[in-house]
Amino acid sequence: MRDAYLIGAGQTPFGSMPEESYRSLFDHAVSEAIDSVDHGIDTAAIDEAVVGSLGVGGRQLGLSGPAATEHAGLHGVPSVRVENACAASGYAVRQAVQAVKSGMADVALAGGVEVMTDMSSDVTKYWLGVSGETEWERLTGTTFSGVYAQMASAYLREYEASEEHLSMVAVKNHRNGAKNPKAHLGFECSLEDAVDAPVVADPLNLYHCCPTSDGAAVALVASEDVVEQYTDDPVRVAGVGAASDRVGLFQRDSYTSISASEMAADTAYDRAGVGPDDLDFAEVHDCFTIAELLAYEDLGFCDRGEAPQLLEQGTTDDDGAMPVNLSGGLKSKGHPIGATGAGQIVEAFKQLTGSAADRQLPAPKYGLTHNVGGSGGSAVVHILEREAAR
Amino acid sequence: MTASGLAAIGSYAPRLRIDAAEFEAAWGRFDAAGIDEKAVPDADEDAVTMGVEAARRALTAADASGTDVAHLAFATTTPPMAEEDLAARLCSILNVPDDAKTQTMTGSTHAGAQALDATMDGGPFGEDIGLVIIGDCPRGDPDSEVEHAAGAGSVALVVDDDGPGTVIDRASHTEAYPGTRFRTGGDDRTTGLGVTQYDRDAFTTALGSAADRLDVSMETVDAAAVQSPDGKLPYRATGSLGVDAETIAAADTVSTLGDTGAASAFLGAATAFTDDAERALIAAYGSGASATLFVATGPVPVNTALDSAVSLSYAEYLRRRGEITRDEPEGGGAYVSVPSWQRTIPQRHRLVAGRCSACGALNFPPTGACTDCHERTSDFEVVELPGTGTVEAVTTIEQGGAPPEFVAQQSKSGQFDSAIVALDSPSGEQTVSVPAQVLDTTAEVTIGTPVVLTTRRIYTQEGVIRYGFKAQVASQRR
Repeated sequence: MRDAYLIGAGQTPFGSMPEESYRSLFDHAVSEAIDSVDHGIDTAAIDEAVVGSLGVGGRQLGLSGPAATEHAGLHGVPSVRVENACAASGYAVRQAVQAVKSGMADVALAGGVEVMTDMSSDVTKYWLGVSGETEWERLTGTTFSGVYAQMASAYLREYEASEEHLSMVAVKNHRNGAKNPKAHLGFECSLEDAVDAPVVADPLNLYHCCPTSDGAAVALVASEDVVEQYTDDPVRVAGVGAASDRVGLFQRDSYTSISASEMAADTAYDRAGVGPDDLDFAEVHDCFTIAELLAYEDLGFCDRGEAPQLLEQGTTDDDGAMPVNLSGGLKSKGHPIGATGAGQIVEAFKQLTGSAADRQLPAPKYGLTHNVGGSGGSAVVHILEREAAR
Repeated sequence: MTASGLAAIGSYAPRLRIDAAEFEAAWGRFDAAGIDEKAVPDADEDAVTMGVEAARRALTAADASGTDVAHLAFATTTPPMAEEDLAARLCSILNVPDDAKTQTMTGSTHAGAQALDATMDGGPFGEDIGLVIIGDCPRGDPDSEVEHAAGAGSVALVVDDDGPGTVIDRASHTEAYPGTRFRTGGDDRTTGLGVTQYDRDAFTTALGSAADRLDVSMETVDAAAVQSPDGKLPYRATGSLGVDAETIAAADTVSTLGDTGAASAFLGAATAFTDDAERALIAAYGSGASATLFVATGPVPVNTALDSAVSLSYAEYLRRRGEITRDEPEGGGAYVSVPSWQRTIPQRHRLVAGRCSACGALNFPPTGACTDCHERTSDFEVVELPGTGTVEAVTTIEQGGAPPEFVAQQSKSGQFDSAIVALDSPSGEQTVSVPAQVLDTTAEVTIGTPVVLTTRRIYTQEGVIRYGFKAQVASQRR
């Protein structure tokens, strides 16, 4: 199969934007993605569109793909909504890559959008955790903070880890997010703040949980046959991996790892022909800070139980050997469910094309994005490679 | 033909209690004479769940199981659903055969006696048993005598042909006395006109007239378990029943549990037989009015869980009663249809798991591909789990952190623990993990804590109460 390339990517700010609709947000992200294409692109060149969304609030559950893409001027373009909970737009990008690699499309648009802050707190509650196992898990009174807290309880019991390590993730990601003008919670926090915050679901406190956000993100994927029309500085989709697991935590093999992430990463590394040591940075799915610790291990950045040491050693800091969540991650940048996976691709694209401004790493070559649906029922990993300029 | 053996009695009262002094502090008075403290149902308890607690204890004491039950009668003045045969749910939860005869008695505090009367008449049972389940939790307006007295409790009697206990005599009386204690259609609060002497006359006339029909002399009873809407009225019946105050006091439960409605006299009998009474009078009365008296001889094995564990303030009491709390908010979201719930009733009521025919792993629920070997063609061998297990992961859901389906529960009872529990197989050699809410507890719940499962209300959707399992810290089980 032919290679697929990222030729552009853009996103709205993540945050609370009562003045925006899901369509206007998506439209802004499309505009920014188009503007990011080196040589420009006409929307008429887009052969395929995939839109990730959970549909929080139920605002346009049916046909939200066409509703968003037609509004953005992609008239007539085959468009479909992908739903895979918080991994919706990670999977949308994967589908765009499939369309391009298969030869069915030369240019495909993949994005995601979610509006989560325009509802009463009661209605919001209904929608949080709808991707948990509804008939059993949710009926013990949990949403995702509860399920990830259960994972945290098991992790803290099994390994040498403390609640302070959970807080260290928050401190790091807020430090990074403070440099991201698109971040929802773009402020720094002290370790003290992140340790003393009110408890949400023991052992998780408020600083261990990402916010709910509005936002949209879009990536443009082109085939190797046409990539040169759009850029001299191509970012190759070196490897994609995705995997599923039982939706309910209680039916999984492990509570201290997310095996869908592990399987997805194995596939992505294999396809890309690289390993964790080759990566220059990663955007991982830190919906709760425990999830970032699990991600370090699931993605092979360290052995089981060693994630706390990576934090202590600063390995995943912005100046460490393996910077993680330079964008601020879900924790600081925000988490508009359907837009999150594509938003990670936006950060990776910016880093690899040297357009990450204050957060820019010096000449990174490989970046990884890691997007999880629910508490681990689905996961998708992309490995992106900056090729030598043509 | 009848069955007159009493094989065992089980009794249960919620562990939550409130002291009379809390009412006095709040109201400047306490209107339920002779009650020192009373039991309060938790947000997820009702007449059905309390009835299950008592029934399981009675079956254990009788060395019987639900599958032995040929006749099940349920009595309460506070049926959680005004219309629906709740006996069907009780049969399902207790694993009673689907050809068992069932009856539901309600409408007055006399219902418990009607249930025992009918069950005895349903005999003889041969090798089988009859099961009478009485659970009740009256309520009234906050400033009423009924509410000040309102307690909660349940009792279950295993009726068979042989005992060891025996009902040696019984008699009833019915006479129209409207207005002493009543509830109008659609209301959930009991009231009365409060015509003091008239109310006493109704009580003593019905009980006394029934007593006149007994053959057994009252002088032979060690304890008289008399209907106790408060702690004073039963003693008004000493003359008409022909028993002294000391004999009534020997079967007292109202002073510590409050008015337990249809369960009142039978909880008294449980107390009397716990204290090794050789012969006890059970004197049940219901407004309207009607009364039935039973004279039973012991010994009767009693498995009881009436002691208290947690004292409530009056404000906490008002929350538990739902007087100052909110209902489930409006909104869409996670929906579990009644038919899809009904399909999982074997799991929710009886912990029916399945063993994979391919790899032998236990699956819960036993549907779809095996969670262990992922084989999709596996048949599941039915395995009913005993309900013991160990916490594998746990968190405390703080107030505000629960889905809207649980907002009403949190509003009443506050934070709760949600856990994943590894349930033991019958042989104890395997486990299978299930998610379960943990009953509000004073014990710390951590990974490794042993638990036992019990039946509670999970939530109510579309007006339909959904019963299922919750976990209780094993050391907290009474």
